[in-house]
Amino acid sequence: MKLDAATSAGDIPEGLLEPALTVGRVTPGSLDDQVLAFPETKPPKQWYFALAITLTAALIGVISIGYTFITGIGAWGNSSPVFWAFDIINFVFWVGIGHAGTLISAILFLFRKRWRNAIARFAEAMTIFAVICAVIFPLIHVGRPWLAYWLFPYPNQRALWTNFRSPLLWDVFAVNTYFSVSLMFWYLGLIPDIASMRDRTTSKLRKVIYTILAVGWRGAATHWQHYEKAYLLLAGLATGLVLSVHSVVSFDFATSVVPGWHMTIFPPYFVAGAIFAGFAMVVMVLVVVRETMELKNLITMRHLDVMNKVILSMSCIMGYSYMMEGFTAWYSMNEFLHHGFMNIVTGTYGWAGWVTISCNILIPQILWFKKARASYFWMILVAVGVTIGMWFERFVIIVISLHQDFLPSAWRIYKPTMVDFGVLLGTFGIFFTLVLLFARVLPVIATTEVKAILPDAQPSHHGDEHHA
Amino acid sequence: MADVTRKPIRQPIVDRATALLAGPFLLGQRALGLVFQPDKSPGDPPPEPAALRISIKPPEHAIKRRG
Amino acid sequence: MKTRLPDHGPLETPKFWRTLEERVETLDAQEAAHHEFLPSAGPGAFDDVHGLPVQDGFSRRDFFGLVGAAAAVAATVACDRKGQGTVVPYTKRPVEVTPGVANYYASATNEGRRVYPVLVKTREGRPIHITGNDEHPGVKGKTSPRTLADVLRLYDPDRLRAPKANGRTLGWTEAEGQLQAALKSAKASGKAVLLVSGAVVSPSRKALLADLKAALPTLEHLAYEPVAGDGAEEAAKASFGQSVDVQPRLDKAKVILSLGADFLSGEDPESLGAWGAQRRLKSAKDNINRLWVLEGPLTLTGTNADQRVPVVPSRLAAVAFALAKELAAKGVSLPAGTDLSAIPAQSEVPAKAWSNLVKDLQHAGRNAVVLCGAQMPAEAHQAAHLLNAMLGSEAVSVRAAEPLATVKDLETATKGMGEGRYAAAIFWDVNPAYTFPKASAWKEALAKVPFRAWIGQVEDETAAQCQLLLPENHWLESWGDFSTASAAVLQQPTIGTLYDTKQGEDVLLDAAKALGAATADNYHAYLQARWQKSLPLGTSFAQALHDGLVKGEDKAASPAFKGASVAAAAKKAADSKPQGLELVLFPGFATHDGRHANNSWLQETPDPISKMTWDNPVAVSVQDAQAMGIQEGDYVSLSLDGTTLRLPAILQPGQAKGVIALALGYGRTTGGVAKGVGVDAFPLLGLDPASAHVRKGAKLAKAGGKKELSRTQSHHRMEGRDIVRSLTMDEFEHHPQGHHHAPEIVSLYEDQKFPDHKWGMVIDLAACTGCSACVVACQSENNVPVVGPEQVARGREMHWIRIDRYYEGELENPKVVHQPMLCQHCDNAPCENVCPVNATNHSPEGLNQMAYNRCVGTRYCGNNCPYKVRRFNFLEYTAYKTEPETLANNPEVTVRPRGVMEKCSFCVQRINDVKIRAKGDGRAILDGEITTACMAGCPSDAIVFGDLKDPKSKVSQLVTASRAYRVLEELGAKPAITYLADLKNPAAGE
Repeated sequence: MKLDAATSAGDIPEGLLEPALTVGRVTPGSLDDQVLAFPETKPPKQWYFALAITLTAALIGVISIGYTFITGIGAWGNSSPVFWAFDIINFVFWVGIGHAGTLISAILFLFRKRWRNAIARFAEAMTIFAVICAVIFPLIHVGRPWLAYWLFPYPNQRALWTNFRSPLLWDVFAVNTYFSVSLMFWYLGLIPDIASMRDRTTSKLRKVIYTILAVGWRGAATHWQHYEKAYLLLAGLATGLVLSVHSVVSFDFATSVVPGWHMTIFPPYFVAGAIFAGFAMVVMVLVVVRETMELKNLITMRHLDVMNKVILSMSCIMGYSYMMEGFTAWYSMNEFLHHGFMNIVTGTYGWAGWVTISCNILIPQILWFKKARASYFWMILVAVGVTIGMWFERFVIIVISLHQDFLPSAWRIYKPTMVDFGVLLGTFGIFFTLVLLFARVLPVIATTEVKAILPDAQPSHHGDEHHA
Repeated sequence: MADVTRKPIRQPIVDRATALLAGPFLLGQRALGLVFQPDKSPGDPPPEPAALRISIKPPEHAIKRRG
Repeated sequence: MKTRLPDHGPLETPKFWRTLEERVETLDAQEAAHHEFLPSAGPGAFDDVHGLPVQDGFSRRDFFGLVGAAAAVAATVACDRKGQGTVVPYTKRPVEVTPGVANYYASATNEGRRVYPVLVKTREGRPIHITGNDEHPGVKGKTSPRTLADVLRLYDPDRLRAPKANGRTLGWTEAEGQLQAALKSAKASGKAVLLVSGAVVSPSRKALLADLKAALPTLEHLAYEPVAGDGAEEAAKASFGQSVDVQPRLDKAKVILSLGADFLSGEDPESLGAWGAQRRLKSAKDNINRLWVLEGPLTLTGTNADQRVPVVPSRLAAVAFALAKELAAKGVSLPAGTDLSAIPAQSEVPAKAWSNLVKDLQHAGRNAVVLCGAQMPAEAHQAAHLLNAMLGSEAVSVRAAEPLATVKDLETATKGMGEGRYAAAIFWDVNPAYTFPKASAWKEALAKVPFRAWIGQVEDETAAQCQLLLPENHWLESWGDFSTASAAVLQQPTIGTLYDTKQGEDVLLDAAKALGAATADNYHAYLQARWQKSLPLGTSFAQALHDGLVKGEDKAASPAFKGASVAAAAKKAADSKPQGLELVLFPGFATHDGRHANNSWLQETPDPISKMTWDNPVAVSVQDAQAMGIQEGDYVSLSLDGTTLRLPAILQPGQAKGVIALALGYGRTTGGVAKGVGVDAFPLLGLDPASAHVRKGAKLAKAGGKKELSRTQSHHRMEGRDIVRSLTMDEFEHHPQGHHHAPEIVSLYEDQKFPDHKWGMVIDLAACTGCSACVVACQSENNVPVVGPEQVARGREMHWIRIDRYYEGELENPKVVHQPMLCQHCDNAPCENVCPVNATNHSPEGLNQMAYNRCVGTRYCGNNCPYKVRRFNFLEYTAYKTEPETLANNPEVTVRPRGVMEKCSFCVQRINDVKIRAKGDGRAILDGEITTACMAGCPSDAIVFGDLKDPKSKVSQLVTASRAYRVLEELGAKPAITYLADLKNPAAGE
C-alpha cells in the first residue's frame, strides 16, 4: 500500500533497500589489484607459521593412517558391535562440510542471490578440500585397503560384479560424482580469473602455468557466452548433487536395520545438517580470511550476517529433526527405537547427545540477535560450536546406535584409540593445509563475478543516488 | 597380564614394504632384461623346500575306526 | 587366427568396390586398398600365436604385455601372506594315511576320576578334532569342553621335547638310567620312594603300580587330585568306610536335589545327555524332572534349576540333615544307627519351598537323588549319602574307587620329605608345587629329597624343583585303559610321538624291569597281554581298539551306607555357623586345577556364568558388593589366614549373601599362555580335608583401582525384549506362545527358492544348559583364532557361536537363561544386501555364505546384523598361533587373514563332505547324517541340524513345535534357526 506509493515515487525506505554488496569504492581495476595480487606477493610469516602447524597435523594423520595400514583396523577402537566409529563419523562429517560450497555457488546462483558472488570461490574450494578429506575414509576404513578398488564395478576376468543393492556402493558413486562435478564447477569459474592472472603476471613460470590452466581464455564474447551457459548447466547439475550426495550418505544408515539408523527422516535431516556444518566452517574461515587478507571491503559484515541467518535456520531444522527422532521413538512404540533414543539423552554416551543438542540447537539461537550476527565473538563461538556439535551428531548416530542394538548380550562400550584421534587431526591438517595453499596460489574471490555486482556494473536508477 | 602370543606378533610390515618396493623393481629389471638381453640364461632353479620341523608319523599298532 | 592378405591381382577391373574412391580408381585408393593391412606383411611374417605381424625389436604390445605381467606378479608378490609354506607330497605314503581323507580313532582320556571315551579325527596323520565315542553307552558320542580342547594341548609349543637333567638335554637311556639308579639305591638302602600321580582309574595302570610296588617295596604312592574334593573323600571314608566314586544316573531321576553340585557344567556328558533327554519335551504331558538347587555360589547347575535357594555352603549340611530328619518324621526309614538328634529345624529355605521339597523327595522316592558338590564340606556329602540311602535312590551309582590323597596326605608327605624320609620322589602328571596350599613349605621340604624326577608334558612349577625331567606323551600319543560303569574303555595313540617323549607308564615299567620285575617289553605289550586274558569270547584286541571299548557293566562293589557315621557329622553340621565371608574355591571352567591353563582355546572360552575369559576375578554377591561399595572390575584385597591376594571383583547375581567365590587353576608361573593369567588361589586352600575348598573368615576390602575385564558379555538383562522365552510347565500347556504371535512379514520381493535343500537348525533352550562345549567344538572345527585378553576386553573375540546368558528378576536369586547365538542364516539376511562387493550371499541351499577372498572389510554387514554374530579380523589374529599349534588346524576350513569378516558357516565343509559321499553312493542324504560341530559337541542334544525341505526330518518337525519361535522375527530377516522356549518346572504354587 504505502510501499507501492513509495516505489512509484522512487523513494524506498532505507531498511528495505538492498544494501551494496561491497564497501567503499571498488572498481574492476582495484578489485583485480586487490585480489589477484596475492599470488604475486610473498606470504607473510604468519602464513608460514600456520602452514607449519597444519602440515604437522597432516603428518600426524599420515603416520596414523600408515600405522593403521600396517597393523589393521584393530589399531582403532572399532569393535563388535561398534564396527564403524571414527572412520565413518569423519567421513560423514567431511562430506557434510563439503556441502556449503556447492550450495552457495550453485543453488544460490540459480536463486540469483548476488551476495554469493564474493564468497562462492572460497566456499567451493573448501568443498573440494572437504570432499578430499572425506574420500580418505572409505579408502582407509576397509579391512583390506589394498582391495578397496573392488568397490568399483569394473569389468574383470573373474566376472565379479559389485552389489548394487548396497548403499555403500551408492556412496561410491554419489561421492565421486559430487567430487568431479564440484571440481569442474570450481575450475570453470576459475578460468577467467586465471586468464587475468596470466595477463598480469611477470614471472615466466607462472605465465606458463596460468596459460595452461586458462585453456586459451581470451575474454571474447563467445567465450563469455559459452562460459555462462556452462556455468548455468553445471550449477543446475550441482544443485541436484547437493541434495543427493548427503541423501545417499544417509542411506548408509537409513536403509539398514539398526535402530536409530532405520529412519525415513534421514535424507533431509542429513542434507540440512550438512549445510549447517558447511556454513559454520565457511563462516569460521571467512572471518579469518577477511581479517588477514584485508578483504573487508569485499567480504562484508552483510555476508556474514546472511550466512549466520542460514546457520540459524538450519539450526532450527536440526532442532525439528531431533524432536522428530524423539517423537518417532515414542510414537512408533518400538522398544528398540525407544531404547536407542533414551541412550542419546541418558545413556553412557548421554554426554555426547547433550553436546550435540547444545552445540547444534541451543548455542546457535543467539543468532536471533542482530548484534550477535555482527559480532565476531558470537559467530565464531557458534561456528566452532556447530562444527563440534555436528561431529558429535555423527558420533551419536553411529556409535550410540551401534553400541546397543537388538540383543543386549552383544552390547559393548566403544573407546577410541590415539590412532583414531591422530587420523581425525590429520584430516583437519590436510584440509587447512589445502586452504592455506589455495589462499596463496589462486584468487580467493571470483573477481569476474564480483565485477558483475559492483555498483558501477549495475544499470540502476538508484546508482546515482548512492554515489551522490 | 600374560599375552597369548608367545612371541610378539610378527608384523608383516617389512615383508610387505620390501615386496611392494622391490617386487616391481626386480620384476621390471628382469622383464627388461628378457627383452634386451635375450641370450641370458633363465633364472635360478626354485629353492629347496624347507625341512619340516616336526615330522608326523602315524601311530603304531593303533586301529582306526574309519577313514 | 591367421590373417593372410588375399591376393588381389591387378586392380584394373575390380568386380566389387568398397569405396567410391576405389570405384573411380584413384591412385591413392589403389595404394590404400593394397596396403589395407601392414605394408611389410607377407607370408610367414606373422606371429604364430596371435596371428599378428611380427615387428622388429620391442613392440608396443610386448611392452604392455610385460608391464601387465610385471604388475600382476608384483601385486601377487606384494600380497604374499607370511607363513606360507611349501606343500610337499609324501615321498613314502604311510599306509593308514590317504591325503584328503580323515581317519577316526577311538581313544579315551580322563580328568580325575572321570573318564572320557572319545573319537579322534585325524587328517594327514594329525589329530584335529575330538568328539565323544558314539559307541559308549554312557557318553553317547559326547564329551566335555576341556576334552574337546585337549587336541590343542598336543601341539602346545611349550611341551618338553626331550629328557633333561639339571638343565642338560640327554637321551632316554641315560635319563632312565639315572632314575633307575636312584630307585635301585633307594631299594638297597631301604629308604622310601615317593610317587605322586593323578587319580588311578586305569586297571592296567593300577596293575603296573602294583608290579612296581612289588619290585620296590618302599614305594609310597599318592593319587593326588587337587580339585577332586577332599570333603567328598573324607565323607566317603566316613559314610562307606572306603573311597567311592559317586555318579549321578539322571535318566532315572524324577527329582534332583543339588547341594552345590555342578553336574550340568559340561564336564559330565553322561549327566548332560540324560538331562537333555528329560527336558526336550514335545508336549506338556511328557515327563519332566525337577531340579532343586541349594547352593552358595551360582553354578551352571544352579542356573538350570527349577527352584534354587541360595544357602551358605557351611550351612548346607545342616539343611540337608534337617531334610533327612523331616523325611524321617514323615515316615521314611532311616538307616540303622542313624542319630539326627543334634539337628535343629532349618531356617535357610523358605517354608513353602521346604514343604514342597520334602513332598517332592518323598513322592519321588527311589527316583529322587541328592547330589553334593565336590568342593562342599564333608558333612554335606555325608548328608547327601544319608538322604540317598533313605530314599533308596536308583538315580545315583556309588562305586568303590581307588582312594585319593587329600591335602592331609600331602602335608604328611611334606613332613616326611623335610625329615629326609624319602630317597627319591617322582611326580607324574601332577604339580604339587603349584597346587599344594603351602607351596613354600613344600618346596623347602622337597629340596631335601636327594633325587627328584618329574614326568609331564609342559615344564611346570614342580618341574622347576626337580633334577630329572622326563617328557611325557600327550594322551593322544599314549596307550591306556579305563573302567567306566557301562564299559571298559581303551586308549590308543592317534599319532606317533611328535617329540622324543615316552608315556609315564613306560618309564615306570622300565623302572620295574630294572628293579628285577618280570614284565612286558613296553606298556603297549603289557596292556595287550592283560586285555587278551580278559577279553570276552569272540572279541579281539584289535576289535576292542577299533571300538575303543569293551561293553559290560563294571563289577566294582557298591558299599553300604553306615548309619553310625551320621551322629558326629550331624553334630558338626549343626554347630557350623557362618563366620565372616565364606570363600568357595572351585575348579576353573577353563583351567580345572591349572593343568589346562596353557590352552588358549579354553582360556578364551567364556566362563558359562560370569562370561569372563583369561582371568579369575573373585565373585561377590550383589548384596555384599553393595554393602562394601564394590563395583564390577574393582580391585579388592582378599585375605584369609595371613594370605592376601589382590584381584579384581565381579558382582555375581544369585550368589548367597556372605559368600565369595574364586576359581582355582590361574596365576601359573610357567607356560607361555598360562603364565600370569589371573591369580593363584591355591594358597587359600584349607589344610583341613573336610572343608578344604570352603573357607570361613575371609576378608574382603577395596584395594583401589579398576581392571578392564576381558568379558564377552557386559549387559546381563534382556531389557524386557522377546529374546529368550522361558515357560513354566503350566504356560507350556496352556499358552506356549504366550502373548507373542508370529509377526506378519510382508516383502516386496519374491522369496528365494531352494530347489534341493534348505538347511536349518533348531535349538532347544530347555535342553541347553550353557555348558559351552559347542563353543570349543566350533573353535576346533573352524580354526577360530584366539585373540587374547586385551582384544576380548575390546569386544573382538572371534567365536562363531556364543552362549548369551541373561538374568531376570531380582538380583539376589535371579532366573537365568542361556541362549546359544550363532549366525541365523537368514533367508532375508540384512548383512547380504549391504555388502558392496557381494562377499556375503545366499546359497541355493539357504546358507548365508562368506567369500573370504572377496571380502574387502567394510564391516557394514557386521553393523547390519541384528544378532551381532559376525566377527571381524581386526588384526592378523591367525599370526597369533605359534608353531606347531597350526597343526591343529582343520584343513577343510580356510584360515582367515586380517581385514576379513567371518562367521558361522553351518559347517559347510561337513555338509559338502556328506553330500559328496552320498553322491558317490548314489543315495539321498539321510536325516541326521550331517552334524555341525556344535551339534556334535552338544552333550544335551539341544541342537538339531537338518534339511527343512525334507518334511520328515527332525528339524522340519521341530520348527512347528508349540515352543518354537525365532529370535527378532519381527525384523523380517527370516532366520533359519528356530529356538524352542526354555522350560522351568517349579513346584506347584511357586
